[in-house]
Amino acid sequence: MRLRALSWLLFALLLATTTALKFWPTPPIETDLLALLPATERNPAAEQAAASLGRLSGERAVFLIGLPQAVDARNAATILADRLRDGRVFKNCVAKIPSPDPAALLDFYVPYRAGLLASDPHHLPVTRDDFADRLAARLSGPFGGAALPLAEDPFALFDDWLAALPFRQFRLDFEDGWLGVHDADVSWVLVSAELAGSAFDPALQRELQTALTKAEQELQHRWPTVQILRGGAVFHAAAARESAEGEMNVIGIGSLLGIVVLLLLAYRSLTPLALGLLSVGIGLCAAVLTSLAVFGRLHLMTLVFGASLIGEAIDYAIQFFSVRLGAGPDWNSGQGLKLILPGLAVALATSVVGYSVLGLTPFPAVRQIAVFAISGLVAAWLSVVLLLPWWLSRPTKQTPGALLALPAQWLDFWRARINGRTFLLLAGSLLVVAAPGWFRLTADDDVRALIQPTPALIAQEARLRALTGMEAGSQFFLIEGDDAEQVLQHEEALVQRLTAAGITTQGVSRFVPSCLRQRENQALLKASLSAQQAALDDAGFRAEALRTWQGAVGRHQACLTPADWLATPMSIPFHHLWLGATANGQASVLLPAGYRSVDILAATAADLPGVSLVDKPGSVSRLFGEFRRTGGLLLTAATVLVFAVLAWRYGLRGGGAVLLPTLLAQTIALGILGYVGSALNLFHVLALILVLGVGVNYAIFLVEGLRGGPRRQSAALLGVVLSAATTLLSFGLLGLSATPALSGFGTTLAIGISIAVTLSPGALIMATKLPGMDFTKTPCTPSR
Amino acid sequence: MSHTFARLMVLPALLFLTLLRPAAGEPNATPAAGQQLTPLLAQIEQTKVIQAEFVQTKTLQALKHPLRTSGRLVVVRGQGVLWQIDRPYRATYLIATDSVLEIGADGSRRIRKAREVPALAQTGQVFQAIFQGDTRALEAYFEVRIQSGASRWQVDLTPKPMLTRFLKAISARGGRFLDAIDIEEGGGDTTHIEFRNTLLDAPIADADREFFSH
Repeated sequence: MRLRALSWLLFALLLATTTALKFWPTPPIETDLLALLPATERNPAAEQAAASLGRLSGERAVFLIGLPQAVDARNAATILADRLRDGRVFKNCVAKIPSPDPAALLDFYVPYRAGLLASDPHHLPVTRDDFADRLAARLSGPFGGAALPLAEDPFALFDDWLAALPFRQFRLDFEDGWLGVHDADVSWVLVSAELAGSAFDPALQRELQTALTKAEQELQHRWPTVQILRGGAVFHAAAARESAEGEMNVIGIGSLLGIVVLLLLAYRSLTPLALGLLSVGIGLCAAVLTSLAVFGRLHLMTLVFGASLIGEAIDYAIQFFSVRLGAGPDWNSGQGLKLILPGLAVALATSVVGYSVLGLTPFPAVRQIAVFAISGLVAAWLSVVLLLPWWLSRPTKQTPGALLALPAQWLDFWRARINGRTFLLLAGSLLVVAAPGWFRLTADDDVRALIQPTPALIAQEARLRALTGMEAGSQFFLIEGDDAEQVLQHEEALVQRLTAAGITTQGVSRFVPSCLRQRENQALLKASLSAQQAALDDAGFRAEALRTWQGAVGRHQACLTPADWLATPMSIPFHHLWLGATANGQASVLLPAGYRSVDILAATAADLPGVSLVDKPGSVSRLFGEFRRTGGLLLTAATVLVFAVLAWRYGLRGGGAVLLPTLLAQTIALGILGYVGSALNLFHVLALILVLGVGVNYAIFLVEGLRGGPRRQSAALLGVVLSAATTLLSFGLLGLSATPALSGFGTTLAIGISIAVTLSPGALIMATKLPGMDFTKTPCTPSR
Repeated sequence: MSHTFARLMVLPALLFLTLLRPAAGEPNATPAAGQQLTPLLAQIEQTKVIQAEFVQTKTLQALKHPLRTSGRLVVVRGQGVLWQIDRPYRATYLIATDSVLEIGADGSRRIRKAREVPALAQTGQVFQAIFQGDTRALEAYFEVRIQSGASRWQVDLTPKPMLTRFLKAISARGGRFLDAIDIEEGGGDTTHIEFRNTLLDAPIADADREFFSH
C-alpha cells in the first residue's frame, strides 16, 4: 500500500512539474474559437481557402476616426497610427496611403483592350445606330474626358471596362492620400493595421489593449468629441479570451471555495480537505497533460469547462472520507477501500461512458472536453484509490454532523411515505407534468452558440460596415479547374448568374477574363467593324483616327493571364482571391456581396461545373443540427452502456432501479427546458447524455452506502450530499458562462443532476431486494 | 478609380460648382484658401438655384470638325444638376447624389444607381460634398488658384501629377457669374463651354421640377 501510494505520489509530482513546465513561460492555450470548429468541407481545397481567408481577416485591424472637421480627423488618425506603430503589436499601421496610380492601371490593360469588355457579350453594341449612340454619348455627355484619346476608344468600351473593375469594394474615397468617408456631420478617416503576430496571442492582445487605450486617451484629451470605431478579429479574440478567463476564475474559485467550506463543515479537519484538493489537483494536471498530448493545444473553452470539473472530481475523495467517517473507531483503510471500491468503480465507469459518448461526436471542442474530463476523472479516482488509504490509515474521531439533518429527514420522508408503487406513481405524474414541455421545445443550431461576440463590438463593427461598406460575409465560392483558364471560365459562368441575380462579386475573372472570353470579345468587335466604321464616318472621324481604331481592334494580341495580373502591385490587395495550385488542379475564390440569404447563393450556383459554395458557419450549424437530431441515438447508446455497467454490479432489476431516477431526471429536465423556452442545441443534448453518466453516481453512492450499519449509512448520505453539492455548484457556475454552448451545457447538467439527486432515494426503494439492502427498515436520521 | 475622377473632374457642371468653393472652405487648407473672397463669389455661394444656357465646343484630334452642343443647365443646391442638351439632338442628364438619370432623344430613360456603377458613387459623393461646401474631394486632385479683380475673376485648376496624363488644365472665368470654362485634356483635345443668360434663384420650370423629383 505504501509503495503504491509513494509511487503514485512521485508520479503526481512528475505530472505537476510537467504541467508547470508546459505552462511556463507561455501556456499552450488556444483562444481561436475557429479551432474548435470541425472540418466540415469534404473538399480539402475548400478548407484551405476558408482557413486562409480566416487568417487574412485575423491579421487585419481597422480603425475609423471620426471628428467634425476633416483636418482634425486626419491629424487624429496620424497620431493613432504613430502610437500604434511604436509598439510591437503591428507590423505596419497606415493612415496615409498613396493613391493608386491610374497610369499604371492603364498601361497594364491597354495592350489587351480589344479583348476586355465590361458587359457580357450579349449586351455589346452591334448595329451602326448602337455605335453611333455610344459615340454621341462619349462626345456630348456631361461626363467629358476619358482614359484614352477618342481615336483609341471612340465607343468608351475600355472606359467602361475600367469603370467596372471591382477595385472599389468599399464606400471609402481617396482624399489626398487618406481613405475617408463622410456622414451627416462627421468626417471619418481610416487607419488600417496589420498585426505582427497571431490575433489569438494573449501577449499581443494585452499589448494592443495597452497601446490602444493610451492612444485613445491622448486623442480624447485633444479632441473630446473624437469617435474611434474598431474592427478586426483580434478584438473579438481578446474579448472572448478575457471573458473566458474571467469565467474560468469564477468557476474555479467558486468551486474551490464551495469545496473548502463544505468539506470543512462536514469533516472539521484540514486533512480531508487537503487530500481532496490533492486528488483534484492531480486529476486536473493529468487532464491538462493528456489533452495536450492528444490535441497539441488546450483550448480556453476546455479550461472553462475544466474548472467546472473540480466539483465532480472531488466526489471520489468524498466517498472515501465518508466511509472512513462511517467506520468510526473500527477504521481499517484497506477494508474501507474494499468496501467502496465497487461503487467508486461503477461511478467512474458510468461517467467515463457518458463522456466517451460525447467524445464520439466530430466536434473538436466537445472531444477535447471529453478527453479532458475522462483523463481528469480517472487520475482523481486513482489518487483516491492509491493514495488515500495509505494517508488516512488512522480512524477519524469525527461523527456525522448536523449538516446531515435535512437530507436525513428527506430520506426518512421517503422511507415513511413512499414505496415502490407510490414512487412509480410519482414518476408517472412527473412525466405527465413534464410532457407538455417536450412539445414546446424549439431548436436553434446556430454556430453562435460557440462563438458569441460581445454586443459592444458587434455594434461598433455594424457602424463600421455601414460607413465603409466593408462586408463581413463568411460565405464564398470555391472555383476549381484543371488549369487557370478553366478556373476563369467556371468563374465567369458563376459571375454571370450571380450578376443576373443582383449579387455583386469580387473575383479574379473580374480583373482578368478567361482567354476564351477575351478571344470572343475581340471576335465580336471585329465582326461589327463595318458598323463601327459607318458610325465613325458619320461623326466626321479623320481617316488616320479610323485606322488607329481599326488597328486596335484587329491586332493579334496575347491573352492577359492571372499570372500577369498577380505580378502587378495593384493586385496585391486581391491575392487571396487566387488560390493557385491545389490537389485538384487550380482554384480561385469568388466573394459575393449583397445577397439576402445563403440559399440564394446555393440555388444560383447549383449545377455549375467546378463551383462549390463554402459556407463554414452554415456547415457547422448543419452539423450541430444533425448531431442534435441524432442525439437520441447517442443517448440510447449511452443508456445501454451505463445500464450494462449497473447491471454488472446490481443485477438487471437493481441496475434498472439505480438508473430510474436519472432517466426521470433527463426527461423532466427536457420538459423544463421546453417550459422555459430554451432553444435546444447540440450542447443541451450532450448535457443530457452526461446527466446519465454523472447523475447516476448519486444513486450508486446511496445504494452502496446504505449497505452498512446506521453510522455508515448516515456517513454515506453525507457523502452523497457533499458530492452532489460540489458538482451542482460547479455546473451551476458553468451555467453562468457567456458562451451559450457552455451555459446551456452547465444549466442542463445542473437541472438534470439536481433532479437525479432529489429522486435518488427512489433507487433505494426500487432496489430493496438487493442483497444486504434493508433500507425500508433501517432508520436513517443519525443518532438522535 | 482615378480615371473616373478624370472624367468626373472635367464635368462642367461640377466645375461650375467648384466656384462655390472659396466661400465655404477651411482656412489655410490650400493655396486658394488664403485669398480674399470677392463679393461676387460670395454672392454665388449664397445661391440656391442656378439656371443658365450653355454652348459647348469640343475640338478633338480625331474629328475633322469641332463638335458643338448647346443646351441649358439647372443646379439645385442639395438635389443635383440637370444638364440638358438641345442641339444637335436632345439628351438630358440628371446627376443626383446617388444616381444618374439619362433621358435619350426618344424619351428612353436609364437610371444608373451609384451602387451599380462604382464611378457614379464617387460622382454622387463628390457632388454631395460640393453642395455642402466641402471640396476636399476636389483639392485632392487639383491645385486651386483664384484670381479676382473688382468685376472679374478666374479660377485655375491644375491637376496633381497622377491626373496629368488625362488632363492638362482647367480654367473658369466670370464676372457676376460664371462665363466660360476651358478644359484641356491630356491627348490634346480641348473643350470650351460658354454660359449665357444666367439666372440666380429664379423659379424653376415645372417640367424641370419633375426631373428633380423623379
